[in-house]
Amino acid sequence: MRTIWAISREMLMELIRKKDFYVLLILMLVLLGFLSSQSFFQVQGVERYIRDFGYSLVMFFSFLIAVIFCAKQLPAEIESRTIYPLLAKPLSRFKLILGKYTGGVMVSAIAFTLFYSVYAAFYILGGGGRNFVLLFQGYIFGVMFLCMVAALVIFLSNFLTMSANVALSALLYVVINGFSTVLRDGALMYKGPVSVLYGIMYYLVPHLEFYDLRIRIAHGWDPVIAWVVWAVIVYTFVYCFFLLYFAGLIFKRKRL
Amino acid sequence: MEQVLTVKDLFYTYESGRSRVEALRGISFSVNEGEIFGFIGPNGAGKTTTIKHLLGILNKQKGELSVLNGDPADPSTRKKVGYMPETADYYRYLTPGELLLIYGDIFGIKRSVLRPRIKELLDLVDISYASGRLMKTFSKGMMQKVSFAQALINDPDLLILDEPTGGLDPVARRKMRDVIHTLRERGKTVFFSSHELSEVELVSDRIAILNKGRLMAFGPVKELLGGKEEAETLENYFLNIIEGGA
Repeated sequence: MRTIWAISREMLMELIRKKDFYVLLILMLVLLGFLSSQSFFQVQGVERYIRDFGYSLVMFFSFLIAVIFCAKQLPAEIESRTIYPLLAKPLSRFKLILGKYTGGVMVSAIAFTLFYSVYAAFYILGGGGRNFVLLFQGYIFGVMFLCMVAALVIFLSNFLTMSANVALSALLYVVINGFSTVLRDGALMYKGPVSVLYGIMYYLVPHLEFYDLRIRIAHGWDPVIAWVVWAVIVYTFVYCFFLLYFAGLIFKRKRL
Repeated sequence: MEQVLTVKDLFYTYESGRSRVEALRGISFSVNEGEIFGFIGPNGAGKTTTIKHLLGILNKQKGELSVLNGDPADPSTRKKVGYMPETADYYRYLTPGELLLIYGDIFGIKRSVLRPRIKELLDLVDISYASGRLMKTFSKGMMQKVSFAQALINDPDLLILDEPTGGLDPVARRKMRDVIHTLRERGKTVFFSSHELSEVELVSDRIAILNKGRLMAFGPVKELLGGKEEAETLENYFLNIIEGGA
Protein backbone atom coordinates (compact mmCIF):
# COMPACT_ATOMS: atom_id res chain seq x y z
CA MET A 1 0.00 0.00 0.00
CA ARG A 2 2.87 2.33 0.85
CA THR A 3 4.40 1.68 -2.56
CA ILE A 4 1.17 2.51 -4.35
CA TRP A 5 0.74 5.67 -2.29
CA ALA A 6 4.35 6.67 -3.04
CA ILE A 7 3.75 6.44 -6.79
CA SER A 8 0.46 8.30 -6.67
CA ARG A 9 1.92 11.06 -4.49
CA GLU A 10 3.95 12.36 -7.40
CA MET A 11 0.74 12.95 -9.39
CA LEU A 12 -0.84 14.75 -6.46
CA MET A 13 2.13 17.11 -6.15
CA GLU A 14 1.88 17.83 -9.87
CA LEU A 15 -1.82 18.70 -9.55
CA ILE A 16 -1.08 21.11 -6.72
CA ARG A 17 1.92 22.72 -8.39
CA LYS A 18 0.71 23.03 -11.97
CA LYS A 19 -1.68 25.76 -13.03
CA ASP A 20 -4.14 23.63 -15.03
CA PHE A 21 -6.40 22.78 -12.12
CA TYR A 22 -6.60 26.38 -10.85
CA VAL A 23 -7.42 27.65 -14.34
CA LEU A 24 -10.34 25.20 -14.61
CA LEU A 25 -11.58 26.12 -11.13
CA ILE A 26 -11.51 29.85 -11.88
CA LEU A 27 -13.16 29.28 -15.27
CA MET A 28 -15.95 27.34 -13.60
CA LEU A 29 -16.47 30.01 -10.96
CA VAL A 30 -16.66 32.69 -13.64
CA LEU A 31 -19.13 30.72 -15.78
CA LEU A 32 -21.39 29.78 -12.88
CA GLY A 33 -21.20 33.32 -11.51
CA PHE A 34 -22.15 34.74 -14.88
CA LEU A 35 -25.08 32.36 -15.27
CA SER A 36 -26.28 33.09 -11.74
CA SER A 37 -26.30 36.79 -12.51
CA GLN A 38 -28.85 36.03 -15.25
CA SER A 39 -31.04 34.52 -12.57
CA PHE A 40 -30.61 37.70 -10.55
CA PHE A 41 -31.95 39.69 -13.51
CA GLN A 42 -34.99 37.37 -13.44
CA VAL A 43 -34.57 35.71 -16.78
CA GLN A 44 -37.41 33.16 -16.91
CA GLY A 45 -36.52 29.48 -16.23
CA VAL A 46 -32.82 30.07 -16.15
CA GLU A 47 -32.23 28.28 -12.81
CA ARG A 48 -32.80 24.83 -14.26
CA TYR A 49 -30.54 25.65 -17.14
CA ILE A 50 -27.82 26.79 -14.73
CA ARG A 51 -28.12 23.57 -12.74
CA ASP A 52 -27.97 21.50 -15.90
CA PHE A 53 -25.06 23.42 -17.41
CA GLY A 54 -23.17 23.63 -14.11
CA TYR A 55 -23.36 19.88 -13.58
CA SER A 56 -22.13 19.22 -17.13
CA LEU A 57 -19.28 21.65 -16.53
CA VAL A 58 -18.22 19.93 -13.31
CA MET A 59 -18.27 16.51 -14.96
CA PHE A 60 -16.46 17.71 -18.07
CA PHE A 61 -13.67 19.52 -16.19
CA SER A 62 -13.15 16.56 -13.84
CA PHE A 63 -13.15 14.23 -16.84
CA LEU A 64 -10.50 16.43 -18.48
CA ILE A 65 -8.25 16.29 -15.42
CA ALA A 66 -8.66 12.52 -15.10
CA VAL A 67 -7.93 11.93 -18.78
CA ILE A 68 -4.99 14.31 -19.06
CA PHE A 69 -3.30 13.11 -15.89
CA CYS A 70 -3.80 9.42 -16.59
CA ALA A 71 -3.08 9.53 -20.32
CA LYS A 72 0.36 11.01 -19.90
CA GLN A 73 1.57 8.78 -17.09
CA LEU A 74 3.01 5.75 -18.88
CA PRO A 75 4.00 7.41 -22.19
CA ALA A 76 5.69 10.31 -20.36
CA GLU A 77 7.50 7.97 -17.98
CA ILE A 78 8.79 5.95 -20.94
CA GLU A 79 9.72 8.99 -23.01
CA SER A 80 11.55 10.78 -20.21
CA ARG A 81 13.00 7.44 -19.04
CA THR A 82 11.90 8.02 -15.46
CA ILE A 83 10.38 4.56 -15.76
CA TYR A 84 13.80 2.88 -15.56
CA PRO A 85 14.89 4.00 -12.07
CA LEU A 86 11.32 3.27 -10.96
CA LEU A 87 11.26 -0.29 -12.31
CA ALA A 88 14.80 -0.89 -11.02
CA LYS A 89 13.28 -0.71 -7.54
CA PRO A 90 11.44 -3.58 -5.84
CA LEU A 91 8.27 -2.76 -7.69
CA SER A 92 6.27 -5.02 -9.99
CA ARG A 93 4.70 -3.62 -13.13
CA PHE A 94 1.25 -4.43 -11.76
CA LYS A 95 1.94 -2.26 -8.73
CA LEU A 96 3.16 0.52 -10.96
CA ILE A 97 -0.11 0.41 -12.92
CA LEU A 98 -2.06 0.36 -9.67
CA GLY A 99 -0.07 3.31 -8.32
CA LYS A 100 -0.68 5.34 -11.46
CA TYR A 101 -4.37 4.46 -11.36
CA THR A 102 -4.70 5.41 -7.69
CA GLY A 103 -2.93 8.68 -8.42
CA GLY A 104 -5.23 9.39 -11.36
CA VAL A 105 -8.34 8.69 -9.31
CA MET A 106 -6.99 10.71 -6.40
CA VAL A 107 -6.16 13.87 -8.36
CA SER A 108 -9.37 13.82 -10.36
CA ALA A 109 -11.47 13.07 -7.25
CA ILE A 110 -9.86 15.98 -5.37
CA ALA A 111 -10.51 18.29 -8.31
CA PHE A 112 -14.06 16.95 -8.63
CA THR A 113 -14.71 17.46 -4.90
CA LEU A 114 -13.76 21.12 -5.19
CA PHE A 115 -15.69 21.66 -8.42
CA TYR A 116 -18.71 19.85 -7.04
CA SER A 117 -18.64 21.82 -3.78
CA VAL A 118 -18.78 25.05 -5.76
CA TYR A 119 -21.60 23.64 -7.85
CA ALA A 120 -23.52 22.46 -4.78
CA ALA A 121 -23.18 25.91 -3.22
CA PHE A 122 -24.56 27.55 -6.38
CA TYR A 123 -27.29 24.88 -6.51
CA ILE A 124 -28.51 25.45 -2.96
CA LEU A 125 -28.14 29.23 -3.01
CA GLY A 126 -29.76 29.42 -6.44
CA GLY A 127 -33.01 27.90 -5.18
CA GLY A 128 -32.37 24.28 -6.15
CA GLY A 129 -33.67 23.12 -2.80
CA ARG A 130 -31.90 21.23 -0.09
CA ASN A 131 -32.00 17.85 -1.70
CA PHE A 132 -28.84 16.69 0.06
CA VAL A 133 -29.39 12.98 -0.63
CA LEU A 134 -29.56 13.60 -4.36
CA LEU A 135 -26.55 15.91 -4.24
CA PHE A 136 -24.60 13.28 -2.29
CA GLN A 137 -25.59 10.64 -4.83
CA GLY A 138 -24.37 12.97 -7.55
CA TYR A 139 -21.05 13.16 -5.76
CA ILE A 140 -20.75 9.37 -5.38
CA PHE A 141 -21.68 8.82 -9.02
CA GLY A 142 -19.14 11.45 -10.03
CA VAL A 143 -16.34 9.71 -8.15
CA MET A 144 -17.35 6.35 -9.64
CA PHE A 145 -17.35 7.94 -13.08
CA LEU A 146 -13.78 9.14 -12.53
CA CYS A 147 -12.69 5.69 -11.28
CA MET A 148 -14.02 4.24 -14.53
CA VAL A 149 -12.47 6.92 -16.75
CA ALA A 150 -9.06 6.61 -15.02
CA ALA A 151 -9.05 2.81 -15.46
CA LEU A 152 -10.05 3.11 -19.11
CA VAL A 153 -7.39 5.72 -19.88
CA ILE A 154 -4.62 3.84 -18.03
CA PHE A 155 -5.58 0.72 -20.01
CA LEU A 156 -5.46 2.63 -23.30
CA SER A 157 -2.12 4.27 -22.41
CA ASN A 158 -0.48 0.89 -23.02
CA PHE A 159 -1.11 1.41 -26.73
CA LEU A 160 -1.61 5.13 -27.31
CA THR A 161 0.36 8.33 -27.01
CA MET A 162 -1.04 10.95 -24.69
CA SER A 163 -2.75 13.02 -27.38
CA ALA A 164 -4.25 9.97 -29.10
CA ASN A 165 -5.47 8.68 -25.76
CA VAL A 166 -7.11 11.99 -24.83
CA ALA A 167 -8.79 12.19 -28.23
CA LEU A 168 -10.04 8.59 -28.15
CA SER A 169 -11.26 8.87 -24.55
CA ALA A 170 -13.18 12.04 -25.36
CA LEU A 171 -14.67 10.35 -28.41
CA LEU A 172 -15.66 7.28 -26.37
CA TYR A 173 -17.25 9.55 -23.77
CA VAL A 174 -19.39 11.29 -26.37
CA VAL A 175 -20.27 8.11 -28.29
CA ILE A 176 -21.10 6.02 -25.23
CA ASN A 177 -23.15 8.78 -23.64
CA GLY A 178 -25.07 9.36 -26.82
CA PHE A 179 -25.35 5.98 -28.49
CA SER A 180 -25.08 3.11 -26.01
CA THR A 181 -28.87 2.70 -26.07
CA VAL A 182 -28.58 2.02 -29.80
CA LEU A 183 -26.68 -1.18 -28.94
CA ARG A 184 -29.32 -2.24 -26.44
CA ASP A 185 -32.12 -1.49 -28.90
CA GLY A 186 -30.22 -3.38 -31.61
CA ALA A 187 -29.95 -6.44 -29.37
CA LEU A 188 -33.70 -6.32 -28.74
CA MET A 189 -34.77 -5.43 -32.26
CA TYR A 190 -32.73 -7.93 -34.31
CA LYS A 191 -32.65 -11.70 -34.07
CA GLY A 192 -29.92 -14.33 -34.35
CA PRO A 193 -26.18 -13.52 -34.55
CA VAL A 194 -26.77 -9.79 -35.12
CA SER A 195 -28.73 -9.58 -31.89
CA VAL A 196 -25.94 -11.50 -30.07
CA LEU A 197 -23.33 -9.16 -31.53
CA TYR A 198 -25.23 -6.07 -30.39
CA GLY A 199 -25.71 -7.70 -26.99
CA ILE A 200 -22.02 -8.49 -26.57
CA MET A 201 -21.05 -4.97 -27.57
CA TYR A 202 -23.59 -3.52 -25.19
CA TYR A 203 -22.22 -5.47 -22.24
CA LEU A 204 -18.58 -4.87 -23.18
CA VAL A 205 -18.57 -1.08 -23.49
CA PRO A 206 -18.06 0.89 -20.28
CA HIS A 207 -21.42 2.50 -19.58
CA LEU A 208 -20.38 6.02 -18.73
CA GLU A 209 -24.00 7.14 -19.06
CA PHE A 210 -24.83 5.22 -15.85
CA TYR A 211 -23.13 7.96 -13.85
CA ASP A 212 -25.00 10.87 -15.40
CA LEU A 213 -27.44 12.37 -12.88
CA ARG A 214 -27.58 15.67 -14.72
CA ILE A 215 -31.28 15.70 -15.58
CA ARG A 216 -32.32 14.31 -12.19
CA ILE A 217 -30.33 17.00 -10.36
CA ALA A 218 -31.33 19.83 -12.71
CA HIS A 219 -35.02 19.06 -12.29
CA GLY A 220 -34.75 18.31 -8.58
CA TRP A 221 -36.28 14.85 -8.94
CA ASP A 222 -36.26 12.20 -6.21
CA PRO A 223 -32.94 10.51 -5.34
CA VAL A 224 -31.94 7.28 -7.07
CA ILE A 225 -33.15 4.16 -5.22
CA ALA A 226 -30.49 2.59 -3.02
CA TRP A 227 -30.00 -0.73 -4.84
CA VAL A 228 -29.29 1.09 -8.10
CA VAL A 229 -26.57 3.11 -6.37
CA TRP A 230 -25.00 -0.08 -5.02
CA ALA A 231 -25.32 -1.78 -8.40
CA VAL A 232 -23.49 1.10 -10.07
CA ILE A 233 -20.72 0.96 -7.44
CA VAL A 234 -20.29 -2.80 -7.87
CA TYR A 235 -20.37 -2.44 -11.67
CA THR A 236 -17.61 0.20 -11.46
CA PHE A 237 -15.36 -1.91 -9.24
CA VAL A 238 -15.76 -5.04 -11.35
CA TYR A 239 -15.18 -3.21 -14.62
CA CYS A 240 -12.16 -1.33 -13.24
CA PHE A 241 -10.69 -4.55 -11.84
CA PHE A 242 -10.75 -6.18 -15.27
CA LEU A 243 -9.44 -3.10 -17.05
CA LEU A 244 -6.52 -2.77 -14.64
CA TYR A 245 -5.81 -6.49 -14.67
CA PHE A 246 -5.50 -6.48 -18.46
CA ALA A 247 -3.58 -3.19 -18.37
CA GLY A 248 -1.09 -4.84 -16.00
CA LEU A 249 -0.81 -7.97 -18.13
CA ILE A 250 -0.13 -5.96 -21.28
CA PHE A 251 2.31 -3.64 -19.54
CA LYS A 252 4.18 -6.62 -18.08
CA ARG A 253 4.84 -7.89 -21.60
CA LYS A 254 5.73 -4.49 -23.00
CA ARG A 255 9.36 -4.10 -24.10
CA LEU A 256 10.84 -1.03 -22.45
CA MET B 1 35.13 -14.46 -3.35
CA GLU B 2 31.39 -14.62 -3.83
CA GLN B 3 29.91 -13.68 -7.18
CA VAL B 4 27.14 -11.11 -6.85
CA LEU B 5 26.30 -11.02 -10.50
CA THR B 6 26.56 -13.70 -13.16
CA VAL B 7 25.59 -13.62 -16.79
CA LYS B 8 25.87 -16.79 -18.85
CA ASP B 9 25.23 -17.13 -22.59
CA LEU B 10 22.81 -14.24 -22.66
CA PHE B 11 21.13 -13.63 -25.99
CA TYR B 12 18.64 -10.95 -26.87
CA THR B 13 17.07 -10.14 -30.21
CA TYR B 14 14.27 -7.77 -31.06
CA GLU B 15 12.36 -6.54 -34.08
CA SER B 16 13.01 -3.00 -35.25
CA GLY B 17 10.71 -2.19 -38.14
CA ARG B 18 11.27 -5.01 -40.61
CA SER B 19 14.73 -5.90 -39.41
CA ARG B 20 15.82 -8.18 -36.62
CA VAL B 21 18.44 -6.79 -34.26
CA GLU B 22 20.72 -9.14 -32.36
CA ALA B 23 21.47 -6.95 -29.37
CA LEU B 24 23.26 -9.60 -27.30
CA ARG B 25 24.95 -12.64 -28.81
CA GLY B 26 25.73 -15.00 -25.98
CA ILE B 27 27.66 -12.86 -23.51
CA SER B 28 29.03 -14.35 -20.29
CA PHE B 29 30.77 -12.66 -17.37
CA SER B 30 30.61 -12.45 -13.61
CA VAL B 31 31.20 -9.74 -11.03
CA ASN B 32 32.72 -10.49 -7.64
CA GLU B 33 31.58 -9.06 -4.35
CA GLY B 34 33.34 -5.82 -3.40
CA GLU B 35 34.85 -5.04 -6.79
CA ILE B 36 34.44 -2.16 -9.18
CA PHE B 37 33.55 -3.53 -12.57
CA GLY B 38 33.77 -1.41 -15.72
CA PHE B 39 31.51 -2.27 -18.63
CA ILE B 40 32.59 -0.53 -21.81
CA GLY B 41 31.77 -0.53 -25.47
CA PRO B 42 30.86 1.79 -28.33
CA ASN B 43 27.32 3.07 -28.88
CA GLY B 44 24.92 0.26 -29.69
CA ALA B 45 27.24 -2.40 -28.26
CA GLY B 46 24.52 -3.75 -25.97
CA LYS B 47 25.58 -2.22 -22.65
CA THR B 48 22.22 -0.72 -21.73
CA THR B 49 20.42 -3.87 -22.94
CA THR B 50 22.59 -5.91 -20.57
CA ILE B 51 21.89 -3.50 -17.71
CA LYS B 52 18.15 -3.68 -18.39
CA HIS B 53 18.42 -7.46 -18.03
CA LEU B 54 20.30 -7.10 -14.75
CA LEU B 55 17.48 -4.91 -13.43
CA GLY B 56 14.68 -7.15 -14.62
CA ILE B 57 13.39 -4.44 -16.98
CA LEU B 58 13.91 -6.77 -19.94
CA ASN B 59 12.92 -10.41 -19.70
CA LYS B 60 15.66 -12.77 -20.77
CA GLN B 61 15.04 -14.76 -23.94
CA LYS B 62 17.93 -17.17 -23.67
CA GLY B 63 20.72 -17.57 -21.15
CA GLU B 64 21.17 -17.41 -17.40
CA LEU B 65 21.20 -14.44 -15.09
CA SER B 66 21.74 -14.09 -11.39
CA VAL B 67 21.87 -10.89 -9.35
CA LEU B 68 22.67 -11.13 -5.62
CA ASN B 69 21.82 -14.85 -5.85
CA GLY B 70 18.35 -14.10 -7.15
CA ASP B 71 16.39 -13.69 -10.34
CA PRO B 72 16.38 -10.00 -11.34
CA ALA B 73 12.85 -10.39 -12.67
CA ASP B 74 11.72 -10.93 -9.08
CA PRO B 75 11.17 -7.46 -7.51
CA SER B 76 12.46 -8.62 -4.10
CA THR B 77 15.90 -9.29 -5.66
CA ARG B 78 16.17 -5.57 -6.36
CA LYS B 79 15.84 -4.57 -2.71
CA LYS B 80 19.61 -4.29 -2.37
CA VAL B 81 20.33 -2.97 -5.85
CA GLY B 82 20.88 0.70 -6.67
CA TYR B 83 20.61 1.99 -10.22
CA MET B 84 21.59 5.25 -11.83
CA PRO B 85 20.32 5.53 -15.44
CA GLU B 86 22.21 7.01 -18.36
CA THR B 87 19.80 9.87 -18.89
CA ALA B 88 18.68 11.45 -15.69
CA ASP B 89 15.31 13.16 -15.96
CA TYR B 90 13.14 13.03 -12.89
CA TYR B 91 9.73 14.39 -11.95
CA ARG B 92 9.99 18.09 -12.60
CA TYR B 93 7.34 19.14 -10.09
CA LEU B 94 9.14 17.57 -7.16
CA THR B 95 12.09 18.71 -5.07
CA PRO B 96 15.06 16.30 -4.77
CA GLY B 97 14.05 15.53 -1.18
CA GLU B 98 10.50 14.62 -2.22
CA LEU B 99 11.84 12.37 -4.99
CA LEU B 100 14.11 10.53 -2.57
CA LEU B 101 11.23 10.19 -0.11
CA ILE B 102 9.08 8.56 -2.79
CA TYR B 103 11.85 6.16 -3.79
CA GLY B 104 12.62 5.40 -0.14
CA ASP B 105 8.95 4.57 0.42
CA ILE B 106 9.03 2.18 -2.54
CA PHE B 107 11.94 0.39 -0.86
CA GLY B 108 9.88 0.28 2.32
CA ILE B 109 12.51 2.15 4.35
CA LYS B 110 11.22 3.42 7.68
CA ARG B 111 10.62 7.17 7.74
CA SER B 112 12.80 7.56 10.85
CA VAL B 113 15.71 6.09 8.87
CA LEU B 114 14.77 7.70 5.59
CA ARG B 115 14.66 11.37 6.63
CA PRO B 116 18.25 11.58 7.93
CA ARG B 117 19.42 9.41 5.02
CA ILE B 118 17.96 11.84 2.49
CA LYS B 119 19.74 14.75 4.15
CA GLU B 120 22.98 12.78 4.23
CA LEU B 121 22.71 11.87 0.53
CA LEU B 122 21.86 15.40 -0.58
CA ASP B 123 24.94 16.58 1.29
CA LEU B 124 27.03 13.79 -0.20
CA VAL B 125 26.23 14.78 -3.79
CA ASP B 126 26.45 18.52 -3.02
CA ILE B 127 22.87 19.34 -3.92
CA SER B 128 21.53 20.26 -0.48
CA TYR B 129 21.73 23.97 -1.38
CA ALA B 130 18.94 23.32 -3.92
CA SER B 131 16.95 20.85 -1.85
CA GLY B 132 13.90 23.13 -1.67
CA ARG B 133 13.80 23.85 -5.40
CA LEU B 134 11.64 22.07 -7.94
CA MET B 135 13.71 19.93 -10.28
CA LYS B 136 12.30 21.67 -13.36
CA THR B 137 14.86 24.40 -12.65
CA PHE B 138 17.81 21.97 -12.46
CA SER B 139 20.68 21.75 -14.93
CA LYS B 140 21.80 18.41 -16.40
CA GLY B 141 24.65 18.15 -13.93
CA MET B 142 22.34 18.81 -10.97
CA MET B 143 19.94 16.15 -12.23
CA GLN B 144 22.87 13.75 -12.51
CA LYS B 145 23.72 14.38 -8.85
CA VAL B 146 20.12 13.72 -7.81
CA SER B 147 20.25 10.58 -9.92
CA PHE B 148 23.34 9.39 -8.07
CA ALA B 149 21.70 10.15 -4.71
CA GLN B 150 18.57 8.17 -5.57
CA ALA B 151 20.72 5.18 -6.55
CA LEU B 152 22.11 5.14 -3.01
CA ILE B 153 18.83 5.63 -1.12
CA ASN B 154 18.55 1.95 -0.11
CA ASP B 155 22.24 1.58 0.85
CA PRO B 156 22.64 -0.98 -1.96
CA ASP B 157 24.98 -3.97 -1.94
CA LEU B 158 25.19 -3.75 -5.72
CA LEU B 159 25.29 -0.40 -7.46
CA ILE B 160 24.66 -0.30 -11.21
CA LEU B 161 25.68 2.95 -12.88
CA ASP B 162 24.97 3.62 -16.54
CA GLU B 163 27.26 6.39 -17.84
CA PRO B 164 27.40 8.04 -14.42
CA THR B 165 29.80 10.90 -15.15
CA GLY B 166 28.09 12.35 -18.24
CA GLY B 167 27.14 15.99 -17.60
CA LEU B 168 29.22 16.30 -14.43
CA ASP B 169 31.92 18.91 -13.92
CA PRO B 170 35.46 17.73 -12.98
CA VAL B 171 34.89 18.42 -9.28
CA ALA B 172 31.69 16.40 -9.22
CA ARG B 173 33.37 13.60 -11.18
CA ARG B 174 36.13 13.37 -8.65
CA LYS B 175 33.60 13.39 -5.85
CA MET B 176 31.71 10.54 -7.50
CA ARG B 177 34.95 8.60 -7.91
CA ASP B 178 35.67 9.08 -4.22
CA VAL B 179 32.20 7.88 -3.27
CA ILE B 180 32.62 4.80 -5.47
CA HIS B 181 35.93 3.99 -3.75
CA THR B 182 34.35 4.52 -0.33
CA LEU B 183 31.57 2.14 -1.28
CA ARG B 184 34.09 -0.51 -2.27
CA GLU B 185 35.89 -0.08 1.03
CA ARG B 186 32.54 -0.81 2.70
CA GLY B 187 32.30 -4.06 0.74
CA LYS B 188 29.81 -2.84 -1.86
CA THR B 189 29.99 -3.88 -5.49
CA VAL B 190 29.90 -1.30 -8.27
CA PHE B 191 29.05 -2.18 -11.86
CA PHE B 192 29.31 0.73 -14.22
CA SER B 193 29.21 1.39 -17.92
CA SER B 194 31.00 4.33 -19.44
CA HIS B 195 32.43 5.90 -22.57
CA GLU B 196 34.98 7.72 -20.42
CA LEU B 197 37.82 5.24 -20.75
CA SER B 198 40.20 7.25 -18.55
CA GLU B 199 37.52 7.16 -15.85
CA VAL B 200 37.12 3.41 -16.22
CA GLU B 201 40.89 2.90 -16.10
CA LEU B 202 41.09 4.97 -12.92
CA VAL B 203 38.45 3.19 -10.89
CA SER B 204 37.90 -0.34 -12.22
CA ASP B 205 39.32 -3.55 -10.84
CA ARG B 206 38.09 -5.55 -13.80
CA ILE B 207 36.48 -4.64 -17.09
CA ALA B 208 34.43 -6.19 -19.86
CA ILE B 209 34.49 -4.82 -23.40
CA LEU B 210 31.37 -5.30 -25.45
CA ASN B 211 31.01 -4.74 -29.19
CA LYS B 212 28.00 -5.50 -31.38
CA GLY B 213 26.50 -7.70 -28.69
CA ARG B 214 29.62 -9.81 -28.23
CA LEU B 215 32.03 -9.83 -25.32
CA MET B 216 35.44 -8.95 -26.77
CA ALA B 217 37.56 -8.90 -23.61
CA PHE B 218 37.08 -9.54 -19.94
CA GLY B 219 39.48 -9.41 -17.00
CA PRO B 220 41.55 -7.22 -14.67
CA VAL B 221 42.56 -3.91 -16.29
CA LYS B 222 46.28 -4.34 -15.62
CA GLU B 223 46.27 -7.88 -16.98
CA LEU B 224 44.49 -6.87 -20.17
CA LEU B 225 46.74 -3.87 -20.79
CA GLY B 226 49.92 -5.78 -19.96
CA GLY B 227 49.08 -8.52 -22.45
CA LYS B 228 49.48 -6.32 -25.51
CA GLU B 229 52.70 -4.71 -26.71
CA GLU B 230 51.31 -1.46 -28.10
CA ALA B 231 48.47 -0.98 -25.71
CA GLU B 232 49.74 1.22 -22.92
CA THR B 233 46.43 2.88 -22.27
CA LEU B 234 42.94 1.51 -22.05
CA GLU B 235 41.91 3.78 -24.90
CA ASN B 236 44.47 2.22 -27.27
CA TYR B 237 43.53 -1.24 -26.14
CA PHE B 238 39.84 -0.50 -26.57
CA LEU B 239 40.32 0.93 -30.08
CA ASN B 240 42.45 -2.01 -31.15
CA ILE B 241 39.81 -4.45 -29.97
CA ILE B 242 36.85 -2.59 -31.44
CA GLU B 243 38.49 -1.84 -34.80
CA GLY B 244 39.98 -5.30 -34.98
CA GLY B 245 36.66 -6.90 -34.25
CA ALA B 246 34.65 -4.68 -36.59
